[in-house]
Amino acid sequence: MDRRAFLRLLSYGCLAAGLAPRKLFAAQALERQRPIQFVFAQLKYRGGDWNPHELAVGPLLEELMQRTSVEAATTRREVTLTDPELFSYPFLYVSGKYDFEPFTGEEIDTLRRFLSYGGFLLADDALGQPGYGFDQSLRREMKRIFPDRDFTRIPASHPAMRSFYLLRKIGGARMVRPYVEGINVGPSTPVVYCQNDLGGAWEKDQLGNWVNQCTPGGEEQRRDAFHLGINLILYAMTENYKDDLIHVPFIRRRLAR
Amino acid sequence: MDRLYFVGGLSWWVIGLVALGALAAIGYQFLGLRRRLGVRRAIPLTALRAVVYSLLVFFLLSPGLVQTRVTKLRRPLNLLIDTSKSMSLPGPGGKSRLDAVKEKLTAGDDPLIRRLERDYDLRVYQFSTALAPVAPSAIPQLEATGKGTRLAELLSEAGRDAGANAAIMVVSDGIANGEGRIGGAAPQIPVLAVGAGDSKGYVDLRLADVTAPEFGFRGREFKIDLVVQAYGLAGKSVPIYFNRGKSLVATKNIDIDRDAFEQRVTLSYTPKEIGAQSFSVNTPVLPGEAIADNNHKEFKVDVRRDKLRVLTLSGSPAWNYRFLRMALKQDPFIDLVSFVFLRTPTDVVDVPDNQLSLIPFPIDEIFLEEIKNFDVVFLDDFSYRSYFNVMYLDRVRDFVRDGGGLAMLGGARSFDSGGYADSALRDVLPVELDGKGRYQMDTRARGVLTPSGKAHPITRLVPDAQANEDAWKKFPPLKSLNQILRARGETLLQAAPEGASGGQPLLTVGRYGKGRTLALMSDDIWRWSFGAVGAKESPQNHLKLVRHAVRWLAQEPMFEQVQIQPVSGVRAPGEKSEFIIRVLNDDYTPAAHANLKVEVLGNEGEQIRLEAVEQSAGEYRTEFTPAKEGAYRIEAQADLGGKTIGRDNKNFTVAFPYAEAEDGRPRPELLKDIAEKSKGDFIPLAELDAASLARATAKLDRLAPAEIVERREIPLWGTLTTFSVILVFLSLEWWFRRKWGLI
Repeated sequence: MDRRAFLRLLSYGCLAAGLAPRKLFAAQALERQRPIQFVFAQLKYRGGDWNPHELAVGPLLEELMQRTSVEAATTRREVTLTDPELFSYPFLYVSGKYDFEPFTGEEIDTLRRFLSYGGFLLADDALGQPGYGFDQSLRREMKRIFPDRDFTRIPASHPAMRSFYLLRKIGGARMVRPYVEGINVGPSTPVVYCQNDLGGAWEKDQLGNWVNQCTPGGEEQRRDAFHLGINLILYAMTENYKDDLIHVPFIRRRLAR
Repeated sequence: MDRLYFVGGLSWWVIGLVALGALAAIGYQFLGLRRRLGVRRAIPLTALRAVVYSLLVFFLLSPGLVQTRVTKLRRPLNLLIDTSKSMSLPGPGGKSRLDAVKEKLTAGDDPLIRRLERDYDLRVYQFSTALAPVAPSAIPQLEATGKGTRLAELLSEAGRDAGANAAIMVVSDGIANGEGRIGGAAPQIPVLAVGAGDSKGYVDLRLADVTAPEFGFRGREFKIDLVVQAYGLAGKSVPIYFNRGKSLVATKNIDIDRDAFEQRVTLSYTPKEIGAQSFSVNTPVLPGEAIADNNHKEFKVDVRRDKLRVLTLSGSPAWNYRFLRMALKQDPFIDLVSFVFLRTPTDVVDVPDNQLSLIPFPIDEIFLEEIKNFDVVFLDDFSYRSYFNVMYLDRVRDFVRDGGGLAMLGGARSFDSGGYADSALRDVLPVELDGKGRYQMDTRARGVLTPSGKAHPITRLVPDAQANEDAWKKFPPLKSLNQILRARGETLLQAAPEGASGGQPLLTVGRYGKGRTLALMSDDIWRWSFGAVGAKESPQNHLKLVRHAVRWLAQEPMFEQVQIQPVSGVRAPGEKSEFIIRVLNDDYTPAAHANLKVEVLGNEGEQIRLEAVEQSAGEYRTEFTPAKEGAYRIEAQADLGGKTIGRDNKNFTVAFPYAEAEDGRPRPELLKDIAEKSKGDFIPLAELDAASLARATAKLDRLAPAEIVERREIPLWGTLTTFSVILVFLSLEWWFRRKWGLI
């Protein structure tokens, strides 16, 4: 069964299950029959709101599988920093709107090891208020994890911006910043932070309608949000692959057009 | 010769007091006698008493007489004549240095050697690398054939047993090339150094101290250093030629601006081909040069790849690729080219191609042209079926057959799931495929070392065997596996379900043609890195596994199953050189009864076949006796059961250990230094005659006379004569006293 057939079957399954995406029994049964290379893991934390867009991940993963060769689990996995399975999911998504409680010392150590040895964290500010709420808490915790490193603006030439799409714009439900930030560790960037509410742009309701409007760019801005999500997943799985010399002349030629 | 001396039994102050008392007594006696006998008679009586008192004081000093007799001896003299090869070089008169020495010692009616025999207790030795006694009459038959000059060591040896007051006379050109240090501790006995040869008339051009790397890297410049020495060639200009085989690769002109000239020269070359290559540096031989052979130097450089080139083809982005890439990228000796298929033909993109970073996979370029430039190819969860014709895999098969390394990693697109049972790789892989093997998910299996895995360098992550097993036990379990029909090569790891001690093959290695192959039947190996980090273990063992695998596949020498180990010793023409060859089976256990083909290649391309004898399981010994100096290479290939299990090669240089024929310039300054430090004397050979010998003998006599001194002591006090003399003077005084009526 190819993925198109699988997705079709999955849609029928959803309909048959009373359009209940959280109870994708049919999908889970089917997933056991196909190889899964990617699981979208979302971090649960104490305080604040760790899950501002409950239905955001499905559309992104659907898009990921339609556009790329990555075989992904269709449902997200919710993990905490003390979850023994945390290191089974090298891609970690953290989102929220409000302040959250500081991580414990052990959680800080765990996340530092996670990010220092190959793990990736996509942070998404659903509130979009720099200096407040989630933004303030996230920066505080990242400073505890990497005291001698700061968030820096990720340039358009960064491999994360070229891992699949040649990104020229950053999308999201709102346009708080026209760029994303990251923390560099050696040659890689294991933490990428977007304040444009990516999850808000990805989210669809159970009837398949977009939950949030994307302002001010509308659907083009939403599309950019999906492209960024896909690029970041591929970046996490291929690291600086697009920086390899063999890619450089091709990418340069395409960008010149 | 007699000499008076005083033993001095009493203290000087006692003797002084006695003398003062005697003086006082004499004065008192004189005054008394003058009053009674008058001055004329008082004086003789007082004088007699004064003589007696003086004698008493004199004998209180315990006088004695020493008689000395000196007997002259013949001084022991060890005459050392240098008969090393450099003494065959021509001296100023055209004769060889040794011939000049022989003539000087033996010519004439009263030859110097006779004079030495008369004046000294003479023992004659010839020396080069050892001392050998010769009869004085055999000096004319001496020949300069010694392979070296161990001057410092043999001077010490000659001095050790020479005896008291001995001296050494050494006749040499001053060239010393033994291991002992000249100019260190001074010889314990005086050395009369006679300098044969004169550096002023010496003409030679020499290439010395050539320093070349043992191995270089393709495409990367390497440098060689050498020293150009010239004597007696001031004003000349000479070219230095740097050759690879018979092709000139670089040249440099040297202007010689003084008689004793020395200049360090650096030459460079960028090799373009891999393998052992012969190089040489040389200069033309100029008229009048004493030594022609030292104008040429040879050496071999093993040219290797600067980095191992690794190609990975991955079927899609995946964590296995991510952590494989991380391991390969962190290795500075690996040059990675990777292709990840980010999109399948059925994927639909929502933007024009120019907004995608995807590049077309250069199928023809990779499989028809570039593949030969890689050392190792990884097929990582990759199936050719969606991308190119199966015929391209024929090129991968040829690549392995010709010596490349191939690794297939598991996944839903690998092994049977990737259609490889119907491809050219079916016979190449170290596992058998039947088209039915499934990709299994949701398994839980640990990698367990097999007996082969415990010894194999790929899975030997830590040197200690027990620690290595412990390291493997700490790896997290794997959740996906590829089924295969059976292993064809050596299985190093088995996938053991929880609680089991074994299971289906997980990691298998093998050979195909000249190349090596590896099959890892899982795409979940990334957990051995990231999962280990989660368990607060180091990810290093995953890195080591990847690095070891790449190096083994690329047939890096450190992982060779055949290893030539030179036995230490001198490699000189005519001397037997031994080599030990260790041979290991595919599971890295010692390989007994292997068929070894061993050859030595000389610098002129000559091939010499050697026999190897098995001296213990997996250990073979061979030997080679080179006929001449030069750069050589030994190559060994081991076959077992009809297949080649490995090969190795080593470069080695054959040269006379003392480099006697390298630098023939006489060094009188060294002989002068030895003479000065030992308080001996230096005499140029031309000035050696009876007069100079007499001067040297006189100097030795002043320094340490060769004689026996006999001494006899005779005490003068406490004898009957002493008592009689005193008694005579006292009797005479008594007679005068009686005569003059005092008694």
